[in-house]
Amino acid sequence: MLDIIGLSSMDELFADIPEDIRFEGPLPLPPPQSEEEILRDADRLLGANVNLDSRPSFLSAGLARNFVPAMVPMIATRGEFLTSYTPYQPEVSQGMLQAMWEFQTMISELVGLPISNVSMYDASTAAAEAITCAVRVRSKKADMPNTVYISDFVPPHRMSVIENYTQGVGIEIRKIPHREDGLLDLEAASSAHGSCAIYVEQPNAFGILDEGLMELRNVVGEKTAIIVGVDVTSLGIIEPPGEWGADIVVGEGQPFGIGPTAGGPIYGIFACSKDFLRLMPGRIVGQSIDSDGKTAYTLTLSTREQHIRRHRATSNICSNETLIALMGAMHMALLGPVGLETLSTRVLASTRMTIEALSTIEGLKFAYPNSPVFREFAVKVPGKSSDAINHMDRLGVIGGFDLGRWWPDKPSWILIGCDERTSESDISSLCDALSSWMEESP
Amino acid sequence: MTDTIFHFNGAENAGWSQPPPSMDEAIKHVPENMRRRNLPSWPRASEPELVRHYTKLSQKNFGIDTGFYPLGSCTMKHNPRLNEKIVQNPGIDRIHPLQPESQVQGLLAIYYEMQEMLAICSGMDSVTLQPVAGAQGEFTAIRCIQEYHRERGEGYRDKVIVPDSAHGTNPASASMCGYQIIEIPSGDDGRIDLEALRSAVGDDTAAMMITNPSTLGVFEPEIAKATEIVHSAGGQMYYDGANFNAILGKTDPGRMGFDAVHYNLHKTFSQPHGGGGPGSGPIGVKGHLSKFLPTPLVERRELSDVDPGGVGDGFWYHWTSPECSIGKVQQWNGNAGAVVRAWAFYRRYGRDLERMSEHAVLNANYLRFKIMNPDPKLSIHAMPVEGCPADVVKHEFTLSMSPLKEATGVTGKDVAKRLLDFGYMSPTLYFPQIVPECLMFEPTETESKEVLDKFADDFHTILTEDPEVVLSAPHTTPVGRVDEVWAARNLILRFPKGEGSS
Repeated sequence: MLDIIGLSSMDELFADIPEDIRFEGPLPLPPPQSEEEILRDADRLLGANVNLDSRPSFLSAGLARNFVPAMVPMIATRGEFLTSYTPYQPEVSQGMLQAMWEFQTMISELVGLPISNVSMYDASTAAAEAITCAVRVRSKKADMPNTVYISDFVPPHRMSVIENYTQGVGIEIRKIPHREDGLLDLEAASSAHGSCAIYVEQPNAFGILDEGLMELRNVVGEKTAIIVGVDVTSLGIIEPPGEWGADIVVGEGQPFGIGPTAGGPIYGIFACSKDFLRLMPGRIVGQSIDSDGKTAYTLTLSTREQHIRRHRATSNICSNETLIALMGAMHMALLGPVGLETLSTRVLASTRMTIEALSTIEGLKFAYPNSPVFREFAVKVPGKSSDAINHMDRLGVIGGFDLGRWWPDKPSWILIGCDERTSESDISSLCDALSSWMEESP
Repeated sequence: MTDTIFHFNGAENAGWSQPPPSMDEAIKHVPENMRRRNLPSWPRASEPELVRHYTKLSQKNFGIDTGFYPLGSCTMKHNPRLNEKIVQNPGIDRIHPLQPESQVQGLLAIYYEMQEMLAICSGMDSVTLQPVAGAQGEFTAIRCIQEYHRERGEGYRDKVIVPDSAHGTNPASASMCGYQIIEIPSGDDGRIDLEALRSAVGDDTAAMMITNPSTLGVFEPEIAKATEIVHSAGGQMYYDGANFNAILGKTDPGRMGFDAVHYNLHKTFSQPHGGGGPGSGPIGVKGHLSKFLPTPLVERRELSDVDPGGVGDGFWYHWTSPECSIGKVQQWNGNAGAVVRAWAFYRRYGRDLERMSEHAVLNANYLRFKIMNPDPKLSIHAMPVEGCPADVVKHEFTLSMSPLKEATGVTGKDVAKRLLDFGYMSPTLYFPQIVPECLMFEPTETESKEVLDKFADDFHTILTEDPEVVLSAPHTTPVGRVDEVWAARNLILRFPKGEGSS
């Protein structure tokens, strides 16, 4: 090939790189390996990890130890899907485009809003970009331009993403406190009246289902956008926010489609009402027709996007999480409406079973005993939660999440997360492990 | 519309089975007012119906597995299946990012190795694997640069310079950090206009974002001068790593004088792009920016007696937080699955990674030569002109179809659509915008000479055939040319309510 193009060595292909910035000699890296050797090393390294399915696990905190139907990864990773790029040429990308249009429909149905994009990176960037989107749409007519109110129960790692996405564009964030029982302080929330947006989560970070949020529209008025972060699994039994006034719904899509995957790739959902369509982030698929008038699908409203609008784009998002959203669509389709309701009920049932079992342990307190919860709830242990979790770890139980890591003022709180796979024996392992720590600890 | 998923309308629970809830009447624990009134109108389908539905859809989708995918700037190389096998391991698929370090030593070891490898390949001092896409890597690096200036009391620097040939994400990412964008023109040859740069920099310059080789596929030999101009004004230099496949092991952004760089693991390191994502966009920075990186990073120390286990290499791996971290850009620790795939890819090459770049560059130059030197016996309507005259290009090259448009009315878009009929993905169309009627080709290292020869022949066929055939292409695809204006006017963004199952 070099001969044909009239060169005598590979070096000539790189002759345009000035000598003083050339890399001399081989890279200081190990020698190449064969497929067999790489697999052996991968099995050794990944085998050293403790996977959630190998132990009773109550760690959730925003990701679900879900069950993914076997069909999902097998069909979604067909090469035609797996190895395609963004469907810029719709004529040869009808498969992924239609699948994403169907995904948009299923998300729209799930949350009760007419519009969904094709995915965000995760729940945190979905929330952050929902906030910047709401400010773009609502700031001009707001009494408090560039101001957004956020529940102070939004966990710090998600809050940090929101701060990074909002700090440079002049958005002021104000916090709304929660009451003793963990419900949003609606009186305090009324100060959001006249601001651009309010962001709350349902259930919140402590798993609490907050009925008061359904009154938010009356509290904040018509002009303030209501953004709600959801646990998608809960929506088989919980009224979707779109039905009680939410303008934008975001959340972690991961429970539908893929395992927790050490935190990624997962996908964020983003759905909204028509007001936000032209200033929303992310890709959108629309139905169209081809040259013969036949139904076809294509990316649409691309003029919002960075490759056309450049620095005036609504977001910098380019790569998203389409393949994982495809897995989500397959999982949702397999569940169907009734399967979704069953799944939600199973998670709720697991949560209640675990609460009932733990309530027999003397000295263990529930942080919010009187509020309804889904998937998660917080308990207070007599001592440091990190000690309790380490003790349970030694007994082979992943006993939850040490909330002291997020909120230093809660050093004795543990967030216990349940899921559709939580079994009776998991629950008794948890109770035994926690009881034994409480007996041993001073 | 009759073949959408919403036309499956089977009986209740037709689809798929799951165990019943572990207690009766759990729903009584949810206040009545909060209970869902109407279930979503999702399909009611069985597994065999869905397998066929999605298999049919996949057959209407083009991937690298289907055929040659010379989409410039996207580095569509083969995705080794070993990498897919590895990420099915429950030691990655069934891992929670908040598990204690003792339970994820293997994952941390892979993170550490990837941080080190990427730093070595790019001439940077520290690497974070957290950003989940190239654009997010850009955003993260600009955030670090922003904090760097603020700490030095130079927070008044409010401008970011980008060449007009830059990827759209560059200005969009800087803009999201609150920066004003100063766009400077490129020379006709696609190179940096150093005079324009000199007059653009000043006390208000926060950074310049640039890729090298440029989006025209040409290496910028005066990059060190550009770096010097920006640095002497107090600005930082940001390297867009989208074109890293061209230079890996030959030079690196550190040597060129850059302060920060992002890598696209879904380009250079073969993470499959799955119809638009997932990606992974780690960044590397020089020492003075390290303390601003997102939290957490992975470090290691020698194993001690108190450590429970490890991975057998004598080290204990642990998370650590940079001193003045900007915090988080993704909720967890990035797209770990993409990092593990990229790790497996890099292990295949090891210290020979430069062979990858050599073959990518050879393939690009070979294809360019073959296209620009057709068989003299062919009567071609009009040969395209090169987007940038250069003796050699790097991993990609641009051609302007303007001569063809003038001669026959056939546009770059028409050629792109006609290529679909020959079983190819089209090259990147109309980017960079500085080349009129631009087609941008990137063959990658994983294509054979035979594929490139055949492609050049087919390309010449398109240049010689009846323009009417090209103007009305494609002809053999699942649908004809799609009306994008119709889609934007009608905005049918979901299956209409009440028309399907339920």
